[in-house]
Amino acid sequence: MCFKNLPVEFDSAGKAFLKAGVANPYEWKGAVGAPTQLTHDKIETLLRKNGHIKSVDFDPVTRVAGALAFHSVVDFKERKVIEARSMATLFRGYEVIMVGRDPRDAIFITSRACGVCGGVHSATAAMAIEMAIGCKPPPLGILVRNLSLAFEFLYDHPLHLHLLAGPDYSAAIVGATNPSLLARAKKTEARHTEFHGYRTMGDLMEDLNPLTGKLYLEALHMTRVAREAYVLLCGKYPHPQTMVPGGMSTTVTLTVMSEMATRLVQFFDYGKKVALIWDDITEFFYEADPGYKKVGTRRASMIDTGIFDHPDGYDATYANAGQTGEMRWLTPGAIVDGKLVTTDMHRLNMGIEEFVEHSYYEEWAGNGSTPKFPKDEMGNPLSPWHPWNKITKPRPSGQNWKEKYTWDTAPRWDRNSMEAGAYARLWNTALAQKAPKSDFFESTGHSLKVRLPKGALPEVEIEWKVPTDWNAFERNRGRAYCLAYTTMVAWENWRLAMERLKIGDTKVSTPFEIPKKGEHLGCGYWGAGRGYLTHHLVLDRGAVSNYQIITPSTWNASPTDQSGQPGPYEEAVLNTPLLEETDDPKQFKGIDILRALRSFDPCMPCTTHIHSEGGVITREINTCACGADD
Amino acid sequence: MGVLVGGLGYRNLRDHSIGIAVSDTLMERGWPQGICVEDVSYNPVALVEHLKEEKFERAVIVAAVQRPGRVPGEVTAYRWDGKLPSDELIQAAVVDAVTGVIFLDNTLIVTRHFGGLPETTAVVEIEPEVHEFGESFSAAVAATFETVCELVTTLAVDPQALLALPRAPLGGVSRERA
Repeated sequence: MCFKNLPVEFDSAGKAFLKAGVANPYEWKGAVGAPTQLTHDKIETLLRKNGHIKSVDFDPVTRVAGALAFHSVVDFKERKVIEARSMATLFRGYEVIMVGRDPRDAIFITSRACGVCGGVHSATAAMAIEMAIGCKPPPLGILVRNLSLAFEFLYDHPLHLHLLAGPDYSAAIVGATNPSLLARAKKTEARHTEFHGYRTMGDLMEDLNPLTGKLYLEALHMTRVAREAYVLLCGKYPHPQTMVPGGMSTTVTLTVMSEMATRLVQFFDYGKKVALIWDDITEFFYEADPGYKKVGTRRASMIDTGIFDHPDGYDATYANAGQTGEMRWLTPGAIVDGKLVTTDMHRLNMGIEEFVEHSYYEEWAGNGSTPKFPKDEMGNPLSPWHPWNKITKPRPSGQNWKEKYTWDTAPRWDRNSMEAGAYARLWNTALAQKAPKSDFFESTGHSLKVRLPKGALPEVEIEWKVPTDWNAFERNRGRAYCLAYTTMVAWENWRLAMERLKIGDTKVSTPFEIPKKGEHLGCGYWGAGRGYLTHHLVLDRGAVSNYQIITPSTWNASPTDQSGQPGPYEEAVLNTPLLEETDDPKQFKGIDILRALRSFDPCMPCTTHIHSEGGVITREINTCACGADD
Repeated sequence: MGVLVGGLGYRNLRDHSIGIAVSDTLMERGWPQGICVEDVSYNPVALVEHLKEEKFERAVIVAAVQRPGRVPGEVTAYRWDGKLPSDELIQAAVVDAVTGVIFLDNTLIVTRHFGGLPETTAVVEIEPEVHEFGESFSAAVAATFETVCELVTTLAVDPQALLALPRAPLGGVSRERA
């Protein structure tokens, strides 16, 4: 059964319908079995009565993209977190900006949502338009779009692993928070010395040090390599000039392909090295203290749109979105409590809702009025809180844990709080076994094997296994393996693109016209380096009448919902033990909480810092907005 | 070896776009050999790579920056003393850099820390008045535009003029501090 909480059932042909006899099918009911956090009234009582319970706030959370603040209440006696509130502190407003515009503007405007991953927003916008207007790119257009966005990930993953999250595991930070752990690291031999060159874990952790560590500096260099390849196709980074509905407007020649290849092959060895470094880090921490398996743990409930379209699979229609998704090199899907419940794009789409109980927005549904789109074009039921039905109504107000405290919304799938991340793609792909056959990777039903060709290092097959423990370490490990997997998907696409060129097929785009009559729906389902990304578009007489973006951090930074079900950051922090070696709240650095948060690769709202009264623009003006709802 | 004239900021952000507007304007003018006028409003790590390749002798960077104690339209020019903040703040600057932030201090800190920024770097700051989207400058900033273009031109072509600037930390010597 796909849905356990929404009253959606399926007939024998797989067609969805609303369960009969339910008067108000989308009336709020929380997800069955979902965790809840204590009410703030109870927390206030505990704070008053217990001196060892204290508020600990991180504002801003550093080493994340954009503006994230986090409020927690910590019980220092029990060494655990008893309240967690995630706050997106800035308003983005793309949904408001887009209304009334030519849909093509979305490609360039929504790209500015992110200073890291502008390309995926452009591509997702282009795909939403393609669906709305019925325009399928030619095979080479699909392949080079895959390639350009793979290079964006090859920038994004090293950036997070070794510039943002990596320092949390470095000698400099571990030495300050857990000196005995660093002492142990200096005596512990690393497992994969032959691939990364570090004899001990202490040596490896020294090179994770920010600014000076070799791994840190190497990651800076590799981000350049990826950027160079990206701009060969996209013109510039991060905001591409060549994404268009119907493909790409770049010129693909053998010279361009050759230039790309010289950069891509550098990731063969780097992919091996990074995956095995994160294997070593993870296993070292687990062995030193099994309590680390609880840092950042939460239910393994996650969602992903899949990514990298097969030229034989993508036709830009909603009707065939299910087939399109299942032919992707990384499979879409929803995993609830570790179980893959669907890989079907239509089912993913119909299960999505956004709530604003604790968000700085006005409610737009739930008063009994009929939603504008009660069904999709296939006849599948849609919630009044579905993105196509959503109306963005910002309402800034004071921060109040009982009422509103964030600019993020609370997206839910089948009313579950789901997380997004590169690892969700691996997980879906590993379990589903639907990805195209390849010489370089294989899904086994419980793992993904990636074969990385010989470079300076020998050819090697690495295997990402579906984790038995789900936590901060596994998020980082998954992201590291995703670097290797993405490298080989890019290589596969490069080879297919060369085949097209060899037969003289150089067409990379399909001509199109924006219809000036009628209403047309589109949705772009793609993914950022950080995971899930969708753009829902309503096109009315040639102009955008509604545009809704859900980013990975919209899911991850979600606030608690009206049932008390925490968002993923909140849930992960609530489950995090405090393993830092201090009993003094004044010395407390919160490293375990920060590891939990950073493991999601937070990417918060920034771009249009429209402050309601002062018109304030802050210096973070154009950094990543992947976390904001609006 | 030569001189880099770099405009820095975001486009279409009214007063905050003056750095790029200056570089756009100066690009259209004739320049002696060795003077390179560019828009440097991109990832500072990529700018480090560019600077290391080009090995400029001097640089003149122009941008709008809001600082306490200045009045809108005020122009502050100084030779940056190159003093870097703590490692923690440098790391924060790198994080901002790699996640898309374009900001004068950030760009200067990152390019100095990783190398590439010339020892002799003049900074021309303009105090913005309005903080919103749009193409036009406020009256206060618009009134300074030609002056800034001429000042930047002088600093680019006349090494003595550049060396005559006060040596100062980021932000220059404010009237309050002076």
